[in-house]
Amino acid sequence: MAVNFYAAIPLMAVLAIIQTAILPRFPIAGVEPQLLFLVALAWGLLRGLDEGLVWAFIAGIWVDLFSLTPVGLSSLAFMAGVAAPILLQPMLPPRRLPVTALLAALGTLIYLLLYVIALGLLGHGLSAVGLAGLLPIVLLHAILVLPIYYVVHQLLRVLQPRRVEF
Amino acid sequence: MNLGRTQQRIRWLTLAILIGSGVLLTILDSTGALVGVLGFVRDPLTTVTDWTSARADAAGDIIAGPRNLAAAREEIAALQVQVEEQARTIEELSEAQGEAQVLRDLFNRAAETPEYRRVLADVIGQDTNPAIESILIDKGVDDGVRTGMPVESARGLVGQIYRASNNAAQVALLTETASAIPVRLGTTRATGILRGAGRGALPTIDWIDLQYVVEVGELVMTSGLGGKFPEDMIIGRVVQVERNEAELFQRAVVQPAVDFRTLETVFVVTEFETVDTEIFSEEP
Repeated sequence: MAVNFYAAIPLMAVLAIIQTAILPRFPIAGVEPQLLFLVALAWGLLRGLDEGLVWAFIAGIWVDLFSLTPVGLSSLAFMAGVAAPILLQPMLPPRRLPVTALLAALGTLIYLLLYVIALGLLGHGLSAVGLAGLLPIVLLHAILVLPIYYVVHQLLRVLQPRRVEF
Repeated sequence: MNLGRTQQRIRWLTLAILIGSGVLLTILDSTGALVGVLGFVRDPLTTVTDWTSARADAAGDIIAGPRNLAAAREEIAALQVQVEEQARTIEELSEAQGEAQVLRDLFNRAAETPEYRRVLADVIGQDTNPAIESILIDKGVDDGVRTGMPVESARGLVGQIYRASNNAAQVALLTETASAIPVRLGTTRATGILRGAGRGALPTIDWIDLQYVVEVGELVMTSGLGGKFPEDMIIGRVVQVERNEAELFQRAVVQPAVDFRTLETVFVVTEFETVDTEIFSEEP
């Protein structure tokens, strides 16, 4: 857990720079995915609730460092968006791509919902048009989570190779 | 059994610590207590972001090159058709004249305000949150940039500095919901407050007196009232008027002159002449 925790900090920093400096120039079908959230979610789905929450917390801190929102707000929204799919995961068929996509869509929806409510409370409320503009992110995340899940899975194999017992 | 219970306790404790930290950080940052600490973290990051942004720009130009050429050809063809149509109708000619006037006003404006002190800044990033509209620029406190300063581009007002660290600053765009700018309309001279409506929606001017007959296409500029913005900075044009005789005020929807998604370079206005409001404080 400790190694993964320390790995999350620099990895999320790099992703935050990509999110702010590169993704806005290369949107996918006009939509920018929330890369840090997806990585935290994929990590949580692979490693469980505890690590998922820690990764979501760290991801949120980095996101807010490049945003107008107060630091910590995204962490709270990310944690809720990561926790719900992980808690739901055991009730669904394991290791199925559509299930992972569905969980990502659900997590994104929860994260965005909480985030928009919190923004409204802080005076950054969104119009109906603005809210509708966020919905394509849910669909994009459902698709994009699959390659990210694979990459995170490979990263985990590097960070924590399986022990072979004789 | 006990081990399981201990793990459960640790899990709850972790969750409580994380949520508590999130709430605490949100409160502390909202009150401005974390400015120094966060600035210390942001500064080295913005240097990296600046470098990354420049490389991403170059890569983007290479990738978009052929597409731009095709788009430009299509645009030229469309413009040729438009020019022919404009030759036939006076209304469309006058519209074209109006557009030209906006551009002329902008150039004149830049020449007319040499007394303003401006800092040129590159846009190095956009807000990482999908619901918020802000940009990151590569100039900060070390360059004289301070919170609240107006930010403009060649086409008009962009927004204002929301927070600044040593070598970078976050700019809240005028379309952001927390933005409120005192404005004046070009022809009717009516005043009001321009409020952002958030991502995907156009900003609106509230509190326009009903005695003014606001027309679609009217130029919207800063009024300078309040002292936070210089006067006569171009913001955009009125695209819709919401007038109801049963209400005390009318509203106008504004199309900003600036295309915020394509911003690359902006000016931070660090010094300007404020509107003299002393007259209102004098006793009769």
